[in-house]
Amino acid sequence: MKMHLRYTIICLFIMVACRQAYEPPVIKAPNRYLVVEGVINATPGSITTINLSRTRNLLDTFLTDPVSAAQIQIESGSGGLFFLHETAAGRYISDPLTLNPSHTYRLKIQTVDGKSYLSDFVPLKISPAIDSITWRQDKDVTIYANTHDPLNNTRYYRWDFTETWQYRSVHETDLGWSNGLIFFIDPANQIYNCWNQAESKKIALGSSLRLSEDVIDHAPVTVIPQHSDKIGIRYSILVRQYAMTEEAYRYWEILQKNTQQLGTLFDAQPSQLKGNIRNANDAEEPVIGFVSVSTVQQQRIFIAKSQLTDWTGGFSSIDCALIFTPQNPTNYLILNYPDTSYGPYYFTSSGSIALAKKICLDCRRLGGTNQKPSFW
Amino acid sequence: MNRRYAFLCICLFIFLIRGTGLGQQSNRISGTFTNAKFSSFVEQIEQNSSFRFYYDPSDLDSFTVNIVANDILVDELLKQVFNNTPFHFVIRQPASIYVTRNVPLQSSLPDDFFERDRTIKDTVTIVKPLTETRVKEKIKAPAENKLYEIGQRSAQTKEKVTLAGYVKDIKTGEPIPGASIYIDSMAVGVLTDQFGYYSITLPSGRHQLQITSVGMKNTTRQLMLYSTGQLNIELAEYIPSLKEVIVTAARTSNTRSLSMGANRLTIKTIKQVPVVFGEADVLKVVLTLPGVTTVGEASTGFNVRGGSADQNLIILNDLTIYNPSHLFGFFSAFNPDVVKSVELYKSAIPEKYGGRLSSVLDVTTKEGNSKKLSGTGGIGPLTSKLTIEGPIVKDRSTFVASGRTSYSNWLLGLIPNSAYKNSKASFHDLNLHVSHTINSKNSIYFNGYLSNDQFRLNNDTLYKYGNKNVNVKWKHIFNNKIYGLFTAGFDNYQYKVSSESNKSNAFKLTFGINQLNLRTDFSYSAGPDHLIKFGLTSIYYKLSPGNFEPSGQQSLVTPDKLQQEQALETAIYAGDEYTITPDLSVSAGIRYSVFNYLGPHQQFRYAEGLPRNRNTILDTIAYNSGKVIKTYGNPEFRFTLRYSLSENTSVKFSFNSLRQYIHMLSNTNAISPTDVWKLSDAYIKPQSGNQVSAGIYKNFKSNTIETSIEVYYKQMKNYLDYKSGAVLILNHHIETDIISSKGVAYGAELFIKKTSGKLNGWMSYAYSRIRLQSNDPLAGEAVNGGKYYPANHDKPHNANFIGNYRFSHRYSISLGVNYSTGRPLTLPLAIFDFAGGQRVYYSDRNKYRIPDYFRLDLSFMIEGNHRIKQLTHNSWSFGVYNLTGRKNAYSVYFVQENGFIKGYQLSVFGTLIPFVTYNFRF
Repeated sequence: MKMHLRYTIICLFIMVACRQAYEPPVIKAPNRYLVVEGVINATPGSITTINLSRTRNLLDTFLTDPVSAAQIQIESGSGGLFFLHETAAGRYISDPLTLNPSHTYRLKIQTVDGKSYLSDFVPLKISPAIDSITWRQDKDVTIYANTHDPLNNTRYYRWDFTETWQYRSVHETDLGWSNGLIFFIDPANQIYNCWNQAESKKIALGSSLRLSEDVIDHAPVTVIPQHSDKIGIRYSILVRQYAMTEEAYRYWEILQKNTQQLGTLFDAQPSQLKGNIRNANDAEEPVIGFVSVSTVQQQRIFIAKSQLTDWTGGFSSIDCALIFTPQNPTNYLILNYPDTSYGPYYFTSSGSIALAKKICLDCRRLGGTNQKPSFW
Repeated sequence: MNRRYAFLCICLFIFLIRGTGLGQQSNRISGTFTNAKFSSFVEQIEQNSSFRFYYDPSDLDSFTVNIVANDILVDELLKQVFNNTPFHFVIRQPASIYVTRNVPLQSSLPDDFFERDRTIKDTVTIVKPLTETRVKEKIKAPAENKLYEIGQRSAQTKEKVTLAGYVKDIKTGEPIPGASIYIDSMAVGVLTDQFGYYSITLPSGRHQLQITSVGMKNTTRQLMLYSTGQLNIELAEYIPSLKEVIVTAARTSNTRSLSMGANRLTIKTIKQVPVVFGEADVLKVVLTLPGVTTVGEASTGFNVRGGSADQNLIILNDLTIYNPSHLFGFFSAFNPDVVKSVELYKSAIPEKYGGRLSSVLDVTTKEGNSKKLSGTGGIGPLTSKLTIEGPIVKDRSTFVASGRTSYSNWLLGLIPNSAYKNSKASFHDLNLHVSHTINSKNSIYFNGYLSNDQFRLNNDTLYKYGNKNVNVKWKHIFNNKIYGLFTAGFDNYQYKVSSESNKSNAFKLTFGINQLNLRTDFSYSAGPDHLIKFGLTSIYYKLSPGNFEPSGQQSLVTPDKLQQEQALETAIYAGDEYTITPDLSVSAGIRYSVFNYLGPHQQFRYAEGLPRNRNTILDTIAYNSGKVIKTYGNPEFRFTLRYSLSENTSVKFSFNSLRQYIHMLSNTNAISPTDVWKLSDAYIKPQSGNQVSAGIYKNFKSNTIETSIEVYYKQMKNYLDYKSGAVLILNHHIETDIISSKGVAYGAELFIKKTSGKLNGWMSYAYSRIRLQSNDPLAGEAVNGGKYYPANHDKPHNANFIGNYRFSHRYSISLGVNYSTGRPLTLPLAIFDFAGGQRVYYSDRNKYRIPDYFRLDLSFMIEGNHRIKQLTHNSWSFGVYNLTGRKNAYSVYFVQENGFIKGYQLSVFGTLIPFVTYNFRF
């Protein structure tokens, strides 16, 4: 038994000492590399938006680090210069531009710390028109892009999109509540119908390389999982299409595989992102981003819930039980309910006020806006 | 008057009359003898010549002579007279003829008689010649000093004759593979094969054989070769602590043999090296050899001269072992009690081997004690083992059966921490070897191996894997010059990963390799200076590359199964070892291998000339069963040259080319590597490698110190590396995620070994680099911008020291020191938001390194008393593994926890570990 004890101690030693944090200096270093995101929009008369930010190291707790007060310009291979100006922290836009399709362009960035970054000169790619945006339901709904280039010139495509969807609060009310007083809502500011919007989070790429003709037939753009609240009433997607060079396509392809999933059996190999932007004085400094110049084609479609089969949608998980509180005997518009997360729903005939959680009454509480978009 | 005295008198006599002149050999005799008495025959010859006969008349009184002599030499005449009789004669110049009955006389001393060691106590003994071609040694007489007559004297020819036989252990009767049989005067030699068999062609006449083998006492044999015959040689174990003069042969095989970049270890050496838990470990000792590194302390494989872990052919009695480790490398799969020796070929890889690019690790097990039933066993902190061996039919059949099991599960259960209570780690393995001698020409052998592992540590995922191997060999000796070995075998390796902690995600993932092997190997001794080997091998592969299934009713996992793969690898080879002059010998071989990737298979077709990815898939082609989808065929060349600069110094040069058709896809970034093997197919070309190496070998102090320096340069083509974001498990189009790279490896290895004395051991240092370059236009991406980058296992500096000091016959101490550069690593450096998602920025591939590795181990061994008669022979070993307690990193990995990416370093043996092991033998 003495022996057994000793062995147990041995094992304890092994197991206890087995894992410790691995934080070599290079991981603890700031690792604040410049990230350049945006496409030089070559559609005549349109505005180019470029976002500048910095990476954060693995241990940093802040979420974003925009780069402000940088000088950004688009340079043409033939000497043209177009300046961008900052409209929000790290967000730079150009004036409406008309670029010459036969020229090459590059981006020049000067940051406040005096560093200068240059992209390669890249050709201007013309995106053919989107033939159609279609969708199919097979439990989930998949949105597809269809296009073709009769000149067989484009070959590499990328899509991103903006989704907009209409939704409603669980309970429809015309009552509002402010400073202890109930008021009737202006119909122009109703809180029953709302519209929410989201930008694409996944990268959609397509290539017609293997085909004899430059045709993209049903390239998946995004997938809406079955029963998603996005199609609670009506849904719209605006798909934008960009044409790319082969190099840009490769870059995006690697980016597509770069996920944050780590620590599982099925981990992917680390990806290497070698963009076309570099520090003019230090080619070794990592800079993230790939500058492309492309005309942008877009198309919008709508999908109504009624067009789908076997789809619940809606915020069914929210608890929207009602609470009844007596009306103020002097002024029925006075409401001093202690829990301000509740709001008035309706007046009952028996002299009480029906209350519900504001999240059940005001659709804006779920993140959207109550203003109908212009295209709706 | 005893025999020895008589011989001395003769010697003296010869000595005295030496130098009185030669000649008169021209004495010719004529005459007719019909039923003539021997005495009258003698009389007549003595009258007609100057010859004088010396013989015992009582021996020859009934002997009659019938011959017609017509001017023939005395020598010739006597040969005819005594042909097929029990009588022997010797003509001693100038004119003395000695005739003996049954025992031949030596007329002169052995050539090296006066140069021989003065400590030889016995003299050359006259032995009885046997008309049978087999000479059975009598152990009691000092075999070294006997003169063995081989073959029929009457058959004496000027032709070359072949000597063959077995080298065996004197104590257990087990054959000794890899023993060197060398004829100094001619500078020719051979090594025994895996069955301890050798065959050498020599001119007839007098020879002295020198027999050496690692761990055995060197010995010599005096031969008189008349015609083709057999000589079995028995070797005694080398016991260094006995105070006895050990006469070592003039040179050991290190500087003389053609083998290059080869290291041979016996189990005795292996057992002296301190290892964790005191369990002798074959692979751990191999790792201390120059040019051998490992990716992690407890990882599954090892790397030889910049090769990846899958580039080593690991064979156990010709069984292919795909996973040579237990518990992810904590123990090697080879039970030390059945292993007899281990040989690692790094540069001069014999042409009989192929299919892997970097090395061949040949593990040979014991044959089994043919003399009595015996056993060994051991009880260690984590494992226990038992081996039984003995004869089945005396002197014809032997067996060795061995089992080893761990009982670590209950230990984990004792740990007062629920995480470990739920952990499991266990393994067992079984070995069986049976050999049976049908007759002197035919033997059959059976080998079986089975291993199983289970592992679940502080994690819900259960890993199981196992090897199953079996083969049968038939050895047929056609004649002394040529023998063949016919082998049929089946190898299986499979693993299963399963997770059931989360009911809706519960899954099991299985993988398996099956291979059927057939091979024939022939060895042909074509002369004293030629040893020709040739043969044919064929392997049929069937792989199940991955089957992912839901586990349990509630699992929502979608099943996914990769198609089975099958292929046929066939090779023919031929090689010749040619001794050009005593100082110069070469070995040249060629191997032609053909690989057929076979249906049934659904193969994606990609647009021609474009990078392969999902977007360039044109269509799918279905191939029927047995249809050849793709064929690769290539010659491989093997060449080695040895030149002796002096008695103790030689230089060697070798060139090797090899091909590999089965590849391991290994994700070293995961916590626990789950390796997938992949056959070459229409898209994944076979890996090929060329290696040139040169070395200088010098022995000092009567060969007790061996030193060598070897340098090498290796080029590899179609080395597999992975694209950014590649997924290796359950990938239906792995060709889209693989980059076929170019590899360049080079290095230098220094090795010093002291083989005997109270202090023995070795020291090695290797500088080795392996750099890759991705230049595959069909990959569509180049790692690190197409520049050379270090491979995952590039570890430039490696130094090892193993020392063993024996205080007395019972007490000894061993020290092991191990240092190596940390392996390269790709680090996640930063996080950023891009295109709507959070992404990770990684460094250039393998730009950083994990911390260097250093470990110091110490162990003491106490042997029990040395009485021969006792129930069990006991020994204890105790010591400390990782004496400095350094937290060496086994793996470094990153996981996402609460939205953050965290790096962890797993140190398996992160502290000093004391151990005690008890071994017994009965």
